[in-house]
Amino acid sequence: MSIRVLVVDDEEDFLNSIVRRLELRGMTAVGVASGAAALELLGSEAFDVVVLDIKMPGMDGIEALREIKQQHAAVEVIVLTGHASQEFNRMGLELGAFDYLVKPVKLDTVIERIQAACGDQEAP
Amino acid sequence: MERQYRELTRRMVVTGLAVALVPLYLLGIALYSYFTAMQEQNHRAELRTLAVNRASAIELFLAERTAMLEALTHTASLEQLTTPGELQSVLRLLNRRHSSFLDLGVLDAAGSHLAYIGPYELQDRNYGDAPWFGETLMHGVYVSDVFLGFRGEPHFVVAVTNETGPEPWILRATIDSEVFSRLVRSAQLGTTGDAFLVNPEGLYQTPPRFGGEILSTAPLNVATVPPGVNVVARTTDDGKKVLTAFAWLTDKDWLLVINRDPDEPLAAFRLARKLELVLLVAGTVLIGAAIFFLVNLLVRRLQTEDHKRAAVDAQLAHSARLVSVGRMAAGVAHEINNPLAAIGELSGLMEDLIDEEFIHATAHGALFRENVHKIQEHVERARKVTHRLLGFARRMEPRQDTLNVNDVIEEALSFIEREAGFRNVQLTRQLDHDLPVIRSDRAQLQQVLLNLLNNALDAVADGGHVLVSSRSDGTTVEVIIEDNGSGIPKELHDRIFDPFFTTKEPGEGTGLGLSISHTIIQQLGGSLDFDSEPGSGTVFFVRLPLTDV
Repeated sequence: MSIRVLVVDDEEDFLNSIVRRLELRGMTAVGVASGAAALELLGSEAFDVVVLDIKMPGMDGIEALREIKQQHAAVEVIVLTGHASQEFNRMGLELGAFDYLVKPVKLDTVIERIQAACGDQEAP
Repeated sequence: MERQYRELTRRMVVTGLAVALVPLYLLGIALYSYFTAMQEQNHRAELRTLAVNRASAIELFLAERTAMLEALTHTASLEQLTTPGELQSVLRLLNRRHSSFLDLGVLDAAGSHLAYIGPYELQDRNYGDAPWFGETLMHGVYVSDVFLGFRGEPHFVVAVTNETGPEPWILRATIDSEVFSRLVRSAQLGTTGDAFLVNPEGLYQTPPRFGGEILSTAPLNVATVPPGVNVVARTTDDGKKVLTAFAWLTDKDWLLVINRDPDEPLAAFRLARKLELVLLVAGTVLIGAAIFFLVNLLVRRLQTEDHKRAAVDAQLAHSARLVSVGRMAAGVAHEINNPLAAIGELSGLMEDLIDEEFIHATAHGALFRENVHKIQEHVERARKVTHRLLGFARRMEPRQDTLNVNDVIEEALSFIEREAGFRNVQLTRQLDHDLPVIRSDRAQLQQVLLNLLNNALDAVADGGHVLVSSRSDGTTVEVIIEDNGSGIPKELHDRIFDPFFTTKEPGEGTGLGLSISHTIIQQLGGSLDFDSEPGSGTVFFVRLPLTDV
């Protein structure tokens, strides 16, 4: 069974491309453009990993992360943002994010982190 | 010394000298006037004593002569004295001691000589009408003023009356005033003092030292001199200041006048004044030297402090510049990262799809594939820049790894050894193997050392030499990276640590390496310095504090 990934990013070109590329690498990927949409989708579908942007209109990534971890504790979240900030990094990890990556990042790195997140999750 | 410090020194010296020397000089002036007043007071007291003494001596002289004649009139009878030859033996007897009696005469009540012995031909002279004769009869005793006799010698007359017999008779003597002038002269003080006697008409009764002959008129208003002994400061007719003692004799209407120069100093005061002058000069020199020394010391210290503060200010300004530049860099990096990520993913997707599509089979398929790949490479290159910018902007808490600096050096060296090998650059280590371990951020330190090693490698020509050494002085651990490259021109030394400052070709360096390294080492509590001689190479010193492990 392939890994199910939900990508949350308001940058449409980035979102569509990365979703498509993850699928080309054999994952099941879905993209949404806001935190609210992500939470809604998480309510109806199961995902292994959420790849989450921080700077988004409406509900920002930190808030979305808090909600996701509250409602779906089993889902691993990898923060992927252009706004590298020590504070966001610390907050993200404190809120239970699996990792914190700074854009732009090589797809191989993202996949490696996603697999690591799943591996940890699936480990006994 | 700079101008403002010279001005400050001048002001402090002037103020200091004024504060210290004005009281000193005021004291000096006060002491001087005190000495002068004391001297005048002393002069007056001395003069008064002298006047009283001399007046007494003169009175004694006159009283003695008068008493001698009086005694004679009471011990010898008129008959005895008028016996021829008797008067001569009496005169000889009187002059045995002091030869001051010039002649002796016995006169009857009508003024005719009953007997006379002396060098003058007065035997037949009648004094019945002479004023002194009447006076003598009236008062019993008479002393005349001084007059010049036939021989031109100054002398005066003493006469006494005997009224014990039926007819009064008079014994008269002429006295050489030379003996008596000597008594007065002995009161002439120093080289400028004068002493003389004047009668109520102001005629000199003894020769003065200056300005006149005996019996000429003295330049004095004798009538206004009050009785008794007086000491006055006055100005003579020729404008000289004198201190004068006036003393009226009690038994004779003669005035003793003693003049002295009030400025002629007494020996004790002369010494005191000399001592005061020496003290003033010595005090001035000492105080002046002390003030100069202290002010210079103070100003030099102030200057040092000012320079230190200026250096701290410059350091702060540098830090502030770094912070603002860092914020800007972070803002730029954030804005660029998002489109960069989109480009990366879009091109990545194109690369992913290229093989599945028809494109690879077309004439330009290979070119498409290559260009899409290049886009990826350029995104990667841009990513490095923005991530370095973010790294620079980041004010992250340094981690506290326990590390041996030598290990970090070896790790950094391992990254550049290949390139050094290619370029035939000789890498030499001089590591102190007893280096103490420290607590610091391993990754950041490695970044700094790598940056410095890369710079060194870039600076040397192929076949050059880079020396890395480590050492510790007990308070710091020091890493020294030395190259024999082209060096840094002196005019660029101040800008070396500024962000975006680079000497490399455009596109080769970001100009952030040294700036970031500097910031990192500062955050680690250490210092990054360099020394460079254009043409012979550059040395960088990384100093890290020794901390408790």
